[in-house]
Amino acid sequence: MILYDYILSPSCYKVRLMAALIGAPLELRPVDFHPGKEHLGEDLLALNPAGSIPILVDGDLILSESAAMLAYLAGQYAPDWLGEETATSRAMVQQWLAFAHRLTAALGGARLVEMLHGQGDLEALQTAGIAALRELEAALFKRRLDGGTWLVGESITIADVACFPYVALAPDGSISLDPYPSIRLWMRALRGQAGFVEMPGIHRRHELAPDPLTPAEGA
Amino acid sequence: MRLNASSPWIPLALSGDIPNGTVIPATLCSKPIAIWRSQSGQVNANGNRCPHRGMRLSHGFVRGETLSCIYHGWRFGQDGACQHIPAHPDVVPPASINCGPLQVAEQDGVIWVAEDQVESQPPRLDGLKPLRSLVFCAEPEAILTASGGTEVDLGVEATLAGTRICLLLQGQAPAETLCLVLVDQATSPKACAEISRALEGIRRRAEGETEKRGAA
Repeated sequence: MILYDYILSPSCYKVRLMAALIGAPLELRPVDFHPGKEHLGEDLLALNPAGSIPILVDGDLILSESAAMLAYLAGQYAPDWLGEETATSRAMVQQWLAFAHRLTAALGGARLVEMLHGQGDLEALQTAGIAALRELEAALFKRRLDGGTWLVGESITIADVACFPYVALAPDGSISLDPYPSIRLWMRALRGQAGFVEMPGIHRRHELAPDPLTPAEGA
Repeated sequence: MRLNASSPWIPLALSGDIPNGTVIPATLCSKPIAIWRSQSGQVNANGNRCPHRGMRLSHGFVRGETLSCIYHGWRFGQDGACQHIPAHPDVVPPASINCGPLQVAEQDGVIWVAEDQVESQPPRLDGLKPLRSLVFCAEPEAILTASGGTEVDLGVEATLAGTRICLLLQGQAPAETLCLVLVDQATSPKACAEISRALEGIRRRAEGETEKRGAA
């Protein structure tokens, strides 16, 4: 399975993170997105005419939507991550996968304007981003009231992985995460999952590693 | 609206939002601070600036009874004193290196911070339990109006979804108000969810009012 990947792309990170969390093998093929614009070159346009990354290739299967990649990885290696097999659970997972597109458009859009001097109405993107974060915060607070941690059901699903990267990187688009305690706790739980990997701007929880000041037992 | 006029204690977070071993950013009288809870459950507050390179300490991490800076790992104790500098493991940091500890109290599910040393205890919140914390892009007056409640010393008391609620309000910046929401102790989980939804409505109305006033 080959992932056409760019280290600074939150959408590519979604797929790297998913694979790491469930232990799926993934061969990375770095794309010179910036400044080389390799994703708009003939070779990659032949794979994905939309000119976007990530692209996931597994034999004859070519995927160019990150949500589909998460579903594929989970379906192959960790079906539990697709959520329970009830109509409600499946609908809720789809709801959050679609919501993740709003996060990409708003939070990701603001991030592109701020980081890559992209074109766009920064204020409108930030306003839309804050609206989406408030919606997520309210939903996660409701989950906490019910004793839950994750967006859907009792355990982590592809819905959480799909929403996490652009939320965690909101400050790159000059959108503060300070006002959202439930989002903070949800991100902390995700960053505490076994197999969690970082990307620039999203660091691991250092306190989970052994304390270098405390001598190891038996040492 | 004169908020919290009679007490030096400022309500800045709900206990449940800071589990053991976590740190959050907060604003004390427009000054950025970090509030953190040690592994054993002790709540602490200090300035949000590492004395080394100025990194926000709320980006850091809590290990045991200490807070570490994410940048170079300078480690601070509950008294705010630097205990360890990883790049100079054999140096005992001088007492002058500290991150500006603040007086903090935890009472009735609310974390209170004081700007100066005080002898008194924070005000009691009898018969109430914490629900959630929200930030309004609005002034406290607009929140009072939108809630249809009455002004009390700490903020606003109102009735929402048939339940008595109390909004602890704290201005953080112009047109930015932290709102800690408490509800009657006996409120059921179902009613809590209803109140949470209704609060979003109050926020929409308060912010709409603030925008109108800004445009005028």
